[in-house]
Amino acid sequence: MSVELSTQGQVLSASQVSAGYDGRAIVHGIDVEATPGRVVSIVGPNGSGKSTLLKSLVGVVPVLGGSVSVGGTDITNVPPERIATMGVGYVPQVDDVFPPLTVKENLEIGGYLLPRHQVHERIGAVLEFFPRLKKMMTRKAGKLSGGERKMLAMGRVLMLSPSVLVLDEPTANLAPLVATQLLEEYIRGFADAGSTVLLVEQRAKAALRISDWTLVLGGGRVVLSGRPDDLADNPVFVESFLGGGAHR
Amino acid sequence: MSAILFYLATIVVYGAVDAMACLALNVEFGFAGLSNFGFIIFQSVGAYVAAVLSMGPWQKSNGGFQQYVLGWHLPWPLPWVGAAIAGGLLALPFVFLVGKRLRGDFAAVGLLVAAVLLNQLVNNFVPLFNGAAGVSIVPAPFQGIWNPQGLGYQFAYGGVAVVLCVAAYYLLRRVTESPYGRSLRAMRDNDVVADSLGKNIRLQRTSMMVLGGAIAGLSGAILVGFINLWAPGAWGYAETIVLFAAIIVGGAGNHKGAILGAILVPLGFEEVTRFIPPLSNPSLVPALEWVAIGLLIILFLWFRPDGILPERRRILSGAAPGPTRAQPPVPVPLDGSSPGGDPDALINLGNLDTMDFRELLHLAPAPADAPAVIMRTDGLTRAFNGVTVVEDVSIDIQRGRLTGLIGPNGAGKSTTLAMLAGTLAPTGGRIVYEGSDITAVPSNRRATAGIVRTFQLASEFKKLTVLENLVSAIPGQSGDSLTGALRGRRHWGAEDRANIERAEEMLHGFGLSQYADTYAGGLSGGQRRLVEIMRALLAQPRLLLLDEPMAGVHPNLAHKIGDQLTRLVEAGMTIVMVEHELSIMDAFCDPVIVLAEGRVLAEGTMAELRAKEEVVEAYLVG
Amino acid sequence: MSVFLSSLGFGIISAAVLAIATVGFTMQFAVTNVLNLAYGSVMINSAFVTYFLNIHGHLNAWVALIGGVATGSVASYLLNRFVYTPFQRRNLAPITIVIVALGVDLCGTFGLQAIVGGSYFTYRQSQGREWHFLGMYFSTLQLTIIAIALGVMIAVAWLLRYTRLGKAMRATSANPNLARNSGVRTQSVISTTWLISGALAGLAGTVFAMNTGVFEATSAQLYIVLLLAAMFLGGPGEPYGAMLGAATIGIATELSAAFINPQYKMVIAFVILLGMLTFRPYGLFGSERTA
Repeated sequence: MSVELSTQGQVLSASQVSAGYDGRAIVHGIDVEATPGRVVSIVGPNGSGKSTLLKSLVGVVPVLGGSVSVGGTDITNVPPERIATMGVGYVPQVDDVFPPLTVKENLEIGGYLLPRHQVHERIGAVLEFFPRLKKMMTRKAGKLSGGERKMLAMGRVLMLSPSVLVLDEPTANLAPLVATQLLEEYIRGFADAGSTVLLVEQRAKAALRISDWTLVLGGGRVVLSGRPDDLADNPVFVESFLGGGAHR
Repeated sequence: MSAILFYLATIVVYGAVDAMACLALNVEFGFAGLSNFGFIIFQSVGAYVAAVLSMGPWQKSNGGFQQYVLGWHLPWPLPWVGAAIAGGLLALPFVFLVGKRLRGDFAAVGLLVAAVLLNQLVNNFVPLFNGAAGVSIVPAPFQGIWNPQGLGYQFAYGGVAVVLCVAAYYLLRRVTESPYGRSLRAMRDNDVVADSLGKNIRLQRTSMMVLGGAIAGLSGAILVGFINLWAPGAWGYAETIVLFAAIIVGGAGNHKGAILGAILVPLGFEEVTRFIPPLSNPSLVPALEWVAIGLLIILFLWFRPDGILPERRRILSGAAPGPTRAQPPVPVPLDGSSPGGDPDALINLGNLDTMDFRELLHLAPAPADAPAVIMRTDGLTRAFNGVTVVEDVSIDIQRGRLTGLIGPNGAGKSTTLAMLAGTLAPTGGRIVYEGSDITAVPSNRRATAGIVRTFQLASEFKKLTVLENLVSAIPGQSGDSLTGALRGRRHWGAEDRANIERAEEMLHGFGLSQYADTYAGGLSGGQRRLVEIMRALLAQPRLLLLDEPMAGVHPNLAHKIGDQLTRLVEAGMTIVMVEHELSIMDAFCDPVIVLAEGRVLAEGTMAELRAKEEVVEAYLVG
Repeated sequence: MSVFLSSLGFGIISAAVLAIATVGFTMQFAVTNVLNLAYGSVMINSAFVTYFLNIHGHLNAWVALIGGVATGSVASYLLNRFVYTPFQRRNLAPITIVIVALGVDLCGTFGLQAIVGGSYFTYRQSQGREWHFLGMYFSTLQLTIIAIALGVMIAVAWLLRYTRLGKAMRATSANPNLARNSGVRTQSVISTTWLISGALAGLAGTVFAMNTGVFEATSAQLYIVLLLAAMFLGGPGEPYGAMLGAATIGIATELSAAFINPQYKMVIAFVILLGMLTFRPYGLFGSERTA
């Protein structure tokens, strides 16, 4: 990687987290620890609570039990705008850009917390990383293609040089080639450069390939966790996605 | 002494007029959920029409000092009848605004503006109703034979007004406390869902605007016959806000609340301020009156949003002796994290196993020669703002099968289902159901033709009880139309009791009898799912479209539901189910259609699909 | 032709006042999704503050104007902070908030009337000399109002397009959750938006009163209709659309006054608004926002 985009990672740790809407838990008692230089992925079928878990870590969904910390500082139920100041960059699965704002303005909002003179510099760095965005700086984000839009969403969080990247299904609705490139080149790259990456991914096998540790969620609980090599061959793993009638 | 009696008669007339207006607005706002911010024009048109129907031609009468249309010099009660008709007819142009799915506050603003517009027009266009000066010297009914200034006349007038007000009360109660009233409240709570169950939203809204308008028109006629003049100053748009304040204070959705509100707010304010001695600043008291009304609205909405007399909960389960009597609702733990405490895991559907769905749901087995395909789509496409979400989906839905629809997030499953049900119009392609093209048929008519859907997000009618939720879905109720409701309980009562019994039986089968009279909005997630499924079943679908019915439901319960779906299919129903839990698909669905990125990827049994490389790719690799 | 030009001149002045008002109104809708029907009462209250500072406080009208602008700004901020926001936290239907807004409007307008009385007030200062361009006549005051409006439009456009705050406002309007994830303190952005839009309400109210010359506590009650028409024409929540909508409505009302009947000059605005609500509720070019 030619440009240093992210800074040295911090530990993002969740302990016995239960979270959900309207006081009703969707995920129950989950432990996650994401450490610098590694990709931790969370996989599982639709509706298993992956996104809810992620949102609770970044302050979007209330934590009902347990605690979350980043770099040793407790961030349980801290508002998202404060969590953003602590080096945690979160890319949601949908509504991940500001559609009526131009690409440039989206990046500027990404750098909202930076001193004015650094914004321009950082945009340059992000564009080095996602050169495709260079040509479309004045285009409205709502008019981008799926891949461009996701690059912009990632670019937006990179504006703050996050030490922890929290990504919710970044490859959803992307063409397979783009998805692979995103995962293997960029997302793995962040970890290799020393950042902490916590990734929710629907393309489970693709996620395993770039992960150092993987949790499999089912029904709001961790059904399996381990190193990718050990998981890939585990029959429970495959079954948790494609079923096998074993539940009956 | 007689001054007090005259005053009393005046209060009675004003009170009756205000109460009628509030009753009418309350059926629109409190029952049908229509925020008619232009309500005052309906009362006003009634007043004008009654005036010009009872007055003689303007060129002759009064020396021609005022100008107006008609002047037919009709005897009582014809002007009043005309007023009611005019109030009702005035509602029709507004169907454009309220009949479509426009944000409630936008439609309300439209009506508000229409009221201001009409006021300005009448104010400036003199030949219509004498412009800003208004019509005056409007003859009182029976003026020639009875002295309107006499105490006897005044009390008789008050008596007639009260009788008409009481008649309006009973008429409106008849409408709202009927199966039709249930449909109105269902529409108020969630119009999209009511529509999907076969309710004609546009017709229901129009009917209530017409009915409310007619009663408002009559109230205007009563008022103008008493005060003998009517001018634009009397019906500024703010007068509607006073009536809204009355209903908010009294209690929306409660007829007695509307009457109470009418006595407290419009009448009360008017009369109390009469007794405040004139001050040096003549506009001070009226100004403070408006301030008080504004404050009343804000404070009540904050501290007592349901009003003094809140809408009452309708207890239906007593109407028919159900299999189990109502028990106090079981408290629902907020955090379902402890495995033993998950209420959904404990729901027992065991009673269903002995239930004959064919009988309960009036299901007929398909005739032997019925075509195997019940619904077919041809190149179905849907784009949102230029982004294509579903593209060229052509599928056949087999009669008498439980078809599964799966795919990764964003594959377009729910969008496809919504197009099949008519909730969403396709941007391309065709849908053929039972041999006829239904692409352009609105969803409520698809529902009556047997295509019923459920929703992924909670869609219960919150302020209807569980039993009301279920009964509201039963099609073909003779009390579920304005005319049916008006014919009274004798017309629909027995049938309704039978319907309630059917719903109770269903509820018993699903093990939720103890919640029969609980507001559906207060149930747990899994229970609400079941209410929704029961409600859809009672709509007697031939093709049932389920959108993630198991989402958020405990796995044990999900499999119990699945078993019952299988039984329904055996009983002759066709079901299409969107679901992401593949173990459910495995156990119950055949065939399964896989969508990915808006297109059909594969079709077959789960076992076949699992062997297909591209399906595994879509799910695991991408 | 000369009738056309002179009424066009009137239209430009109406449009100028309306544009200031509508931009503030639509900004409030954009960031909080509230149709603030009490906007007219904020306008007229501010106008009275300016008036009293000018007449009784013996301040120069343009200095007094600052008092009016500050009144609108603070009143709007308080209104959002202590009325709309608490109600919105309860997750009520938008219609409830609109009813609340109508209640606030009654309190604001008639509270003012209770204080100042029901009589008319007149600006006694001169309108300045007449200027004459292309068949249109403007007083110095009117030219000043047009200049202020142009200045405000440029300032708002500049704010939204080039400043950090303006971009944060647009981001908050488009996607509040994502804005928070980017570190934007959306609550304070919303408060600032109400301060700014309230200042515009105060300014609009003052120049409205100065332009009509004669006004009373209830003068702005129907103005909300013009505001709504202009906003819906341009698309609710779209500041640039509001400018365009205001120009159209302002000029259309004055032209219809000249060529149809001055008494019906509001009618064209009503008709446009009803048409927009019926056929294009999200503006001529807009689409429903999903946020």
